[in-house]
Amino acid sequence: MPGDRIPRRFFKNASCAIRNMQDTVVTRRKGYFWTTESRLAYLFILPATIFLLAFMIYPVLNVILMSFFKTNKLAQFMKFVGLRNYQELLRKKEFLEVILRSVYWTVLAVAMKTGFGMIIALLLNVKYTGRKIARTLIIIPWATSVPISALLWLWVYHPEFGLLNYTLKATGLLRNPPVWLGNPLSAFMATIWVDIWIGIPFMALVFLAGMQSIPEELYEAANADGVNAWQRFVYVTLPGIRNVLLIATLLSSLWTFNDFNVIYILTKGGPAQSTQILITYTYENTFAWLKWSYGAVMAVITLVILSIVSWIYAKIYFKEET
Amino acid sequence: MKKWTSFIIIVLALVLILPGVTLAAKKKVTFYWALYDGLTEEFRATLERDFNASQPDIEVEIVPIDWDLMYDKVTTAIVGGNPPELSVVGTRWLLEFMDMNAIEEVTKYVSKATLDNISPGAMEAKIKGKLMGLPVAAGARIMAYNADVVTRVPMTMEELRIAAKKYHNPPKMYGLIMPGKKHTELTDFCYYLYAAGGDYFEMRPDGSYGKCIVNSPAGVKALTFMVDVATKDKVVQEGFLGLDRMDSHPVFYTGKVAFTFIGAWVESAAKGAGATFKIGYGQIPPFTGQKQQSLIITDSVAMFKGAKNLEAAGKFLDFFYQDKYKAKFDELIGFPPVTISAGKLPQFQTPLYRALGEAAATAKGWPLVAGWEQVNDIVWDACVEAFLGRKTPKQALDDAAKKVDEARGM
Repeated sequence: MPGDRIPRRFFKNASCAIRNMQDTVVTRRKGYFWTTESRLAYLFILPATIFLLAFMIYPVLNVILMSFFKTNKLAQFMKFVGLRNYQELLRKKEFLEVILRSVYWTVLAVAMKTGFGMIIALLLNVKYTGRKIARTLIIIPWATSVPISALLWLWVYHPEFGLLNYTLKATGLLRNPPVWLGNPLSAFMATIWVDIWIGIPFMALVFLAGMQSIPEELYEAANADGVNAWQRFVYVTLPGIRNVLLIATLLSSLWTFNDFNVIYILTKGGPAQSTQILITYTYENTFAWLKWSYGAVMAVITLVILSIVSWIYAKIYFKEET
Repeated sequence: MKKWTSFIIIVLALVLILPGVTLAAKKKVTFYWALYDGLTEEFRATLERDFNASQPDIEVEIVPIDWDLMYDKVTTAIVGGNPPELSVVGTRWLLEFMDMNAIEEVTKYVSKATLDNISPGAMEAKIKGKLMGLPVAAGARIMAYNADVVTRVPMTMEELRIAAKKYHNPPKMYGLIMPGKKHTELTDFCYYLYAAGGDYFEMRPDGSYGKCIVNSPAGVKALTFMVDVATKDKVVQEGFLGLDRMDSHPVFYTGKVAFTFIGAWVESAAKGAGATFKIGYGQIPPFTGQKQQSLIITDSVAMFKGAKNLEAAGKFLDFFYQDKYKAKFDELIGFPPVTISAGKLPQFQTPLYRALGEAAATAKGWPLVAGWEQVNDIVWDACVEAFLGRKTPKQALDDAAKKVDEARGM
């Protein structure tokens, strides 16, 4: 493919340069583990290391350990039970439904964010008057605090006073618009839309940054070859932003899978559990019902699922790099 | 150069340490303050300022917290080992906190004069002879109606259903408020359950709670009535499934609803919302053949073990429970006073307070069981399943009762 060669060459060159630099650094450091200079470096990284150990590593290890214990309501370990907490939870039909829902919530939301983000990035990459203003405006949903955005949408969806139903009725589009947060399907779609709406700007801006790093000459060459817009997108733009696309969708998958704010504010997992995903279910079990062991098991399962996703992404990413 | 460096270090140290020393000299009391409808920021700030001015060695910080977030906030603080000295809590949560060994008897820190001034009927937080929370708000639930529209107050649920159908004329007027979205409290099902003579748990001879009986004939009757009114008669507010209690009541305040079951805050909240219609008050009617029985809810101020300044917190409660502040607090939130002296004040001799007093005479509280939050969620989900038509009321409540028993290890 014509578009495939250029980005590969570009990234190959970049990674070669980085590897050469790393080789130089490694050569210089051999035998210098505890020099005055390195001692100073260790001193500098010490606060960050302590911070990471205290606030990231310790809680993670504690939660993993907790998942093998029965706990009391103060989250104190009472009795080692091995895998029993896992067995009990995995036997619950409701829990398996929640996992499944989390997966399709994530897949659907990330796919939509990627699609919309790509379209917006393409539009913002075209030269026209007011492009800078458009680029600034597009960031607003991302820049606004998530709880504030969710509260705003809560009011938009209000069946009696909400802007959405009022508009639908006033324009005659729907005489009886749905109760958006009151029915299982519409509640799921309504909450996922808010997550998508908040996440689109990030995708759009990352894709835009990727597109701007593609050399203009490639497009000129493609035009000279007489390709149409679709071919330009498929053979020049898409391969050019491939790595950016991978990283952005990976990050978005992690954030979306753990998107607590939107669901908690809009529906708290209802109606009848239809918007309950793993992160909200974990919160409910842990902090509302004080079932710390179950909460820990759910957190571990979340960690495993997201680690697998990250590993798959890393495999694809680094395979391309080499 | 060295002199300058030393000078800068000393100045920085003073700037950083001195305010800490000043604060450390004062005993800090943190109070999680529930944001009841009608309660103003001005009142909170005045109470905080007046107390701090009256006590040079104590500094109280009154932290406003949304009621729906309060339980999570308090439990997280307890488990995190950093509880506040004081917090407004639902009295039904106290058992959970006692299970966690997290609360202190308030009688240890509050003066006898303050305790003697509390109405004995408001002492729901007296558990096994120990007062584990000072009542802060206590009120039975009543029926409020739009008196500009309603000409006759229904005396039974069956009459209420007929009346709701009569007045229902959407979108100008809705018959009845029915929250259909889960919220923190299970109040709405409870009104109908108690009106049908039902209960949540069987009562054992020793006074403890046994198996869940929400699926009793009374429970099924209550939920069937709710579902029929909302989905067959369709005489409730538009989009009821998407509206919880907090979203539904403002529809009543607009004057577009004939009847609602509500708490004591109705008058102040309606006033705050600019309601222009006349509100009438009556009792939540029983089903035919049943005795009138409403739900009474009390909230308390709890004192937490592990907090540093409980003595100072006791002094703050003595200050707060003076009529000057507590009566004003009651007036703002619209609840009947829990103190004897405030109960005699003229502002509490109105039709609303008369209706509340009448309801309180026969009302029943929540079951005081540990793990109530999960029971609350399970039964709420059952109600929503029935509203959505996914299950019949009987199926939904049978499943709920089974889940509740499982959750309680029965």
